[in-house]
Amino acid sequence: MAVVRRSDCEGFHRRDVLTIGAAGALGLSLPTFLAAQAQAKAKNGNTQAKAQGVILLWLAGGPATIDMWDNKPEAPEGIRGEFQSIDTKVPGIQLAETFPKTAQVVDKLTIVRSLHHTIPSHGPASVFMTTGNKPTAALQYPSMGSLAAKLLKSEVGVPPYVTFGDLRNGGAGLAGYLGTGYNPFVIEGGGGRGNFSVRGLTLKGSFTLEELEKRDALLRKFDNGLAGLDSSNELVDGLDTFHQQALEILKSDKTRRALDLNAEKPATRELYGNTPFGQGALAARRLIEAGVRFATVSFGGWDTHQQTFTRHKTTLAPTTDTVVSALLNDLDDRGLLESTIVMVAGEFGRTPKINKNAGRDHWARSMACLLAGGGFKRGYVHGSTDSSGMAPSSEPVTPDDIASTIFHNLGIDPHMELQTPTGRPMQLFREGKVIDKILA
Amino acid sequence: MCARRMLYSLLAGLAATGAGRAAEISLPTGGTLKAVDFERHIMGLLSKVGCNLGSCHGSFQGKGGFRLSLFGYEPALDYANLTRDTGGRRINTQRPDHSLLLLKATGQVAHEGGMRFGKDGWVYNVFREWIRSGAKWHRGRGEIRSLTVTPADFAMLSDSKSLQLTVTATFADGSREDITPFCDFKIADEAVAEVSPLGLITPRQPGDTGLTVLYRGSVKAIRVLVPMPPRADPYPKIPEANFIDTEVFAKLKLMNVIPSELSTDEMFLRRLYIDTIAQLPPPEVIRDFVADKDPKKREKMIDRLLAHPLHAALWATKFSDITGNNTDALENPAPTRAKRSQMWHDWLRKRFADNVPYDHIVRDILTATSLDDKTPEEWIEFVKKVDNQAAQGFTTDYPHKKTLDLFWRRQQQVPIEQWGEKVAAAFLGVRLECAQCHKHPTDRWTQEEYWAFANVFAQVTFAPNQFSSPAVKKLADAENAARREKAPQGNNNQILLVRELFVSDRARPRPNPATNITPLPRTLGGDVITVRPGEDARVKLAAWLTAPSNPFFAKAFVNRVWGHYFGVGIVNPIDDFSLANPPTNERLLNALANDFIQSGYNIRQLERTILLSRTYQLSYVPNETNRFDKNNFSHAAIRPLMAEQVVDVLNAALGVNERFTGPEEAPVGTKMVEVGASRLNSSVAYALRIFGRPPRTTACDCERAMEPALPQTLFRMTDNTVLAKFTDRNGRVAQLAASTLTPEQLAEEIFLATLSRFPTPDEKTEAVKHLKQTANRTAAITDLMWALVNTREFILNH
Repeated sequence: MAVVRRSDCEGFHRRDVLTIGAAGALGLSLPTFLAAQAQAKAKNGNTQAKAQGVILLWLAGGPATIDMWDNKPEAPEGIRGEFQSIDTKVPGIQLAETFPKTAQVVDKLTIVRSLHHTIPSHGPASVFMTTGNKPTAALQYPSMGSLAAKLLKSEVGVPPYVTFGDLRNGGAGLAGYLGTGYNPFVIEGGGGRGNFSVRGLTLKGSFTLEELEKRDALLRKFDNGLAGLDSSNELVDGLDTFHQQALEILKSDKTRRALDLNAEKPATRELYGNTPFGQGALAARRLIEAGVRFATVSFGGWDTHQQTFTRHKTTLAPTTDTVVSALLNDLDDRGLLESTIVMVAGEFGRTPKINKNAGRDHWARSMACLLAGGGFKRGYVHGSTDSSGMAPSSEPVTPDDIASTIFHNLGIDPHMELQTPTGRPMQLFREGKVIDKILA
Repeated sequence: MCARRMLYSLLAGLAATGAGRAAEISLPTGGTLKAVDFERHIMGLLSKVGCNLGSCHGSFQGKGGFRLSLFGYEPALDYANLTRDTGGRRINTQRPDHSLLLLKATGQVAHEGGMRFGKDGWVYNVFREWIRSGAKWHRGRGEIRSLTVTPADFAMLSDSKSLQLTVTATFADGSREDITPFCDFKIADEAVAEVSPLGLITPRQPGDTGLTVLYRGSVKAIRVLVPMPPRADPYPKIPEANFIDTEVFAKLKLMNVIPSELSTDEMFLRRLYIDTIAQLPPPEVIRDFVADKDPKKREKMIDRLLAHPLHAALWATKFSDITGNNTDALENPAPTRAKRSQMWHDWLRKRFADNVPYDHIVRDILTATSLDDKTPEEWIEFVKKVDNQAAQGFTTDYPHKKTLDLFWRRQQQVPIEQWGEKVAAAFLGVRLECAQCHKHPTDRWTQEEYWAFANVFAQVTFAPNQFSSPAVKKLADAENAARREKAPQGNNNQILLVRELFVSDRARPRPNPATNITPLPRTLGGDVITVRPGEDARVKLAAWLTAPSNPFFAKAFVNRVWGHYFGVGIVNPIDDFSLANPPTNERLLNALANDFIQSGYNIRQLERTILLSRTYQLSYVPNETNRFDKNNFSHAAIRPLMAEQVVDVLNAALGVNERFTGPEEAPVGTKMVEVGASRLNSSVAYALRIFGRPPRTTACDCERAMEPALPQTLFRMTDNTVLAKFTDRNGRVAQLAASTLTPEQLAEEIFLATLSRFPTPDEKTEAVKHLKQTANRTAAITDLMWALVNTREFILNH
């Protein structure tokens, strides 16, 4: 078959490096699938793993975290925003007043206030934050979701990695050098009413399951052209396996059930808020329960070059505040927070200096993000920025460090090596260091 | 202090063990080692047991406080770190068995890297004896002059017995030594044969695979052939159409493998259509072709399709990958990028359509400038015309430009070393990237050669407001001022400005980071390129690169073309020519390359020769002797389609046009292979993504993921964009439903439109039954089309 053989920088065809992932998992490409089949022992139980899944609430556009989770009411005029700080459930930790509900769940959160990088441009910064690797022109790094799809044991019948809509940048959120088999399954629809479907996994309109089975019976009568080659041809054989799996998945209603928000109590749906972001986050929680490993729910509009404060007050902050608090409470109530990581972040922060349009511009040198759940401390603030929020003043961390720490908590060595299609050995997060201080 | 301590322990060691009376060590491949040499033996073992890998102590940061040079290229560093660090505890000449090196490597003391060798083996003895005899280093004693492997070139394992390789090194001092056990052996396909750490090859199943021998940075590769068992019948006489068949069949005979039968007309026609124009043969063409009695009908069809406009479009698509036509990386403003990608694609397409000699195409890419030989005034007029055309519609005059300056025009400045990597990968099939930071471990390239090659591109300039001459600047400034004037206020970065790609006399070469000395520009592994003021180093590079004597140029291209038509290259991966990756059939590769050079780099003639060969026209149906053959072309390879072929083939089967919307908007009827942009916004984007269209960000062709994946299967079965093609008002389903064809005729037509063949009697019976049973004619046709489109036969090329 036409699949390239790989030899790497060190000359080895290191098939043994990575063949984790159960056969029958969604998104496996053929060579990996075959390798996984060959290696009967799928995976040597992740004893280190504190978490099994991740929900990334992605604030696209670059949130002004200086007006949110690292509020600076004492900073000089022209830097401090319009918002006062309020006390939270954890003594000594304050948030901007626009996050009253989140203030009540700070006891479940690690707030990282010393995150920073150097790319104030949406596309590459999104790639940096979602991959944990500084983008280069020479190689497309896989998103954390794609890595999770590859490295974590998947649940049969549900996609390992989903995104609600496409992320802003073409490269962000995708599989990069891992290959198309690890791209996310895209969840479509939604809106306030939450009619979600997974592209390729959900039958629509008159094309019912019954119709599918009828057509498939017909297909079976005609799929014999290459059938004689099954045993000798990996490709022909592999495609048949995929066909069987596709049918199983389409027939299995695990994913469909998970996406059926009507199964939730109206009160719960209410808690998440009647917004696409809220209903998406609820669907993400249900998917994680069903065995999805990584779910990204995106909420745009944070690129506030104009009217930062008005936009925060009217839509951005209330929506986010509702969703973050609802998700954390819900996960915790269900005992899922211990095994689920929640990350809330965007691609960069915004300039401490307020521009002439009452907006803030791109600023990567300081930003805050929220981490919670599986393996992270509760009620903890990590690092700080200087008095005007320009740069970290203690415990500086980078996107690589965040990604490394998340994967550490997922039981994956952040420095394990994967191979690019040219066979170049590549550590998951080369520059990343696990942030010990935020580990529970 | 450390040194003194070591000296002490050295002296003590000598005293204790009776200085230097060497103990002979029996080697596992036979013979004895009389004296252990640091470079020849210890350095060899450090590589062999994996100590100096990048993931272990070879990492630039070291590991666990112990660093070795990556792959062992720096004996001085390694010797120092072995003997001096940790206060000399790593090596204990007085009590060799207490050396930390041995305690760690044997797992007696906790070692993150685990146990590398046992305490009672020969490896241990070699290390121990070296330590015991004083842990000495004779600088240069292990410098390799040459390496020979026996058997040379290929190992034929015809009687299912194992074969021991012997590797002999000739060192700089003229001495020769059998260093077999100190080498590293790697076999590419373990299904064919396995190789032991000591070089014993054991056959497993008939086939052909590469085997690489590594010894301290020197690389040798041979091929391992495991032939089919001899047969009772004499080997049949296979007709040969041209020299390709001669070379392919000669090797098959050596392997006792008999090629498959000639493909049927239907099989041949479908394969040829997909391969040459990314289309399916229309039902009426199949009928006529099958009925045609002309013995030259295949040749005529080949010529017809090679001259088809879509054939050039297909190669433009492939060359857009190879040359890195990455829409997202092109210059601002962003909305103009898709059109620029289209110009790039169309420039290439015109050259393939006109059958421009390959060396001319490459020269006109490599030496591209914006100005070409135009006067500044002519150039400005051309730029205005092309920009205007691009703003208005799909086609421009850009293909008429002499050189492809778009290749070099990227919004973000490209570091010169990436130009080096791109050019090497695209036109020489050589992957250089390893040599950026260290000598290429499995190839000849040194870091010095890497940076010298990179510096060929140090003159390339593409920056805002920089122009090659005051005359050009004056005109460009005036035009840009006019464009700014016309643009709406406020969004300055949305104005398309005139920019120029040129070579500057103020080159910005980069130093080799290992030496911090800036090497003079050189051809890859070749001579220095002297550049006088006003000269372009790339012109001399192009002359070297496209010369018939270039060791890679012609081979790399014929291998690409071969890989396209056979699904697997003669060198595979197709853009990985290296010492460690020898061709499966060297005579074939040489014959093709020589023929290509002789023809004046005539691409069409090369393709014609390949397509006319019996080898290309073989059936995919294997026989008992060639069932497992993957790389000797004894039957047609069943292979996945390129993402663009998937889109076009699906549309062809269902009789619909793709709608390209947004910045890549194209006239109705435009095929996927005709679209230049690498990032699409229309509904086709999802299909391209899941079928692995490359983003064209990296230098090599390798980012095109051809492996099938589950989402592809799901896509064909359920995706709404696919289902919509069945219900298209003008699509094939609607047309057939409206036709007066009988169920029998319908069945035949549907098979021809999808699988490009007539149904078997059984299939026809089933299809007719379904058509008659189902009340709704449209629904019945839809069911049948859906079923056939979802077969493996449909989605694979064969």
